[in-house]
Amino acid sequence: MRYYAYYPGCAMESEGVPIERSLMAVAKILDIQLKELEDWTCCGCPGAPIHELYSVSIAARNLALAEKTGLDLVAPCSCCYRNLMNAHVTITEDPRIGPKVNDALSAVGLHYGGGVRVRHLIDVFVNDIGLETIAAKVKVPLKGLKLACWYGCHETRPYGPDNPEFPVWLDQIVEALGAEAVNYPLKAQCCGGAQLISQPDMALKLVWKLLDNAADNGAMAMATTLCPLCHSNVDSTQMRVNRRFKSNFSMPVLASTQLMGIAFGLTPKEVGLDKNIVPWEKVLSPYLKVRA
Amino acid sequence: MSKKDVLGPYIRVNDPNLFVNQVAAEPGGEKVRECIQCGVCSGSCTTSEWWQYQPRRVIAMIRAGMKEEVLTSASTFYCVSCYKCTVRCPRGIKPASLIHAVEAIAEREGYRPRTRTMPLYRSLRDSIKRGRIWELGTFIRYYLSVNPLTALGALPTAWALFTRGRLKLTPPKRTKGADDVVKIIRKLQSMRTETGGAK
Repeated sequence: MRYYAYYPGCAMESEGVPIERSLMAVAKILDIQLKELEDWTCCGCPGAPIHELYSVSIAARNLALAEKTGLDLVAPCSCCYRNLMNAHVTITEDPRIGPKVNDALSAVGLHYGGGVRVRHLIDVFVNDIGLETIAAKVKVPLKGLKLACWYGCHETRPYGPDNPEFPVWLDQIVEALGAEAVNYPLKAQCCGGAQLISQPDMALKLVWKLLDNAADNGAMAMATTLCPLCHSNVDSTQMRVNRRFKSNFSMPVLASTQLMGIAFGLTPKEVGLDKNIVPWEKVLSPYLKVRA
Repeated sequence: MSKKDVLGPYIRVNDPNLFVNQVAAEPGGEKVRECIQCGVCSGSCTTSEWWQYQPRRVIAMIRAGMKEEVLTSASTFYCVSCYKCTVRCPRGIKPASLIHAVEAIAEREGYRPRTRTMPLYRSLRDSIKRGRIWELGTFIRYYLSVNPLTALGALPTAWALFTRGRLKLTPPKRTKGADDVVKIIRKLQSMRTETGGAK
C-alpha cells in the first residue's frame, strides 16, 4: 500500500466527476491510498497570468498543508500540478518572492519550508506503481484498440515530469493494457482550453487540429492524462467543432484511468463512462466484461 | 566628467520608469534583456497566427520602450500558457512568464485592450475569494461583464455537461480554507501599499 496526499482541484467537483470516480476505482485495485488534503483550496491557477504573487501565495497554502502530512502531494489535474509545482519552485528558488509569500501565509498561521514533492498521477503510475504491476492486473487486454495518447500542456511543460517534446509515459501505460498507441505529431499539443470561454474561435480551431491529426493517424479514440480540463474540453466541444468545420468526428475521449478500469474488468459505470459525452460504446464494446 | 554625465542626457539604463525595467521588475519578466531575438518562441507558439505582434517582437518592442503599443495591443492575451516557448528558449527566458508579466502590468495600470480574455482572467481571479472555483458562477459573472449574447455559443457545451451531472449548480460551501484565502489576499494587499505600488 502506498500513501499520497491527494489534491483533487476544483474541476474534479464538476466536469471531472467521471474521472475522479475512475481514479478512485483504479487506485483501489493498484493499492494506492489517496488521502484528500484536508480543507484544500484553489490552486491559484485562475487568473494567474495577471497576478503571479496571488497565485503563488494561494497555492502555497495547499503546499503548507501538505508539508504537515509528510506525504508526496499528487494532483490529477495538469493545471493544478503545474501551479503547485510553480509555487514550490518559485518559493524555494526566487529570493524576491519566497519571503513575501511566507509573510502572507503567516496571516493564517502557516509556513511553507519547501519540503513537499509535487507530483502528477501519471508519474506515480509509471514510476512508483510500475508498468509491470499495471500489466499484471489486466483481465481484459485492450487488443486491437488504437489510441491517440494526448498529453496536453502542463503534464509535460514547463516542469516535466515527462519529456516536453515527445512524452511517452501515457503510451507506455496504454501499451501495458494491451492497446496500441498510434504515433501522431500533435500528441503534446495545446487544446486552447484556457480560452475556450473568452476566445472560442481560436480554441475550437485548436481542438479541430488535434482531432484531425489524431484521426488521420488512425486513432479510434483519444486517451488523456487525468486532467479534467483537457478531457472535458475535447469531449464537450466536439459537436461545436463538427458544426463549425463541417467535420464528422466522433472520437471518444477516455481518461487513462477509465481505460485502466475497463482493462481491469470494471463496468463502464464504475469508471464513470456513463457520464462521457461522445459515444464510446462502439469502440469499447469488445472489451466490456459481461457480469452475470 | 563622470560616466553618469556622459549617459545622462540620453538614456539612464537603470531608470525604473523605463518600460524594460518595469517588465524586468515584474515576476516572470526578469530576463527580458537576455533575449537574443532568435524567434524560437514565435515559431513554437501555438496561437501565433492570432497575435498582431508575436512573442519575439513583443520582447523587441519592450526593449525599444514602446509601452503604449505593447499594452494597448490584445496580442499578449492570445497566450494560452502552453509553455512550448518556455521549454525551447535557448536563453532560458521563460517567454510565457514574460508575456504574463506584460499582461499583469496592463491590467494593473488600467489598460483595456480589445480582448475578452482580460475580463475572463479578472472574473476568475475575483472568484478565488470563495476558496474554490465555482465555474458556473464565475462564467455567468464573466458573460455579464462582456457581451452576454456570447454565452449563447457556449450553451451546447454547458447543456451537454449539465445533463450528465458534470456542471455544479450550487456554489461550494464556505469553509475555513476560504477565509484563509481571503486573509492571505488582504495581507498581500496591505504589503503592496506598505512598499508603495508595484506587485
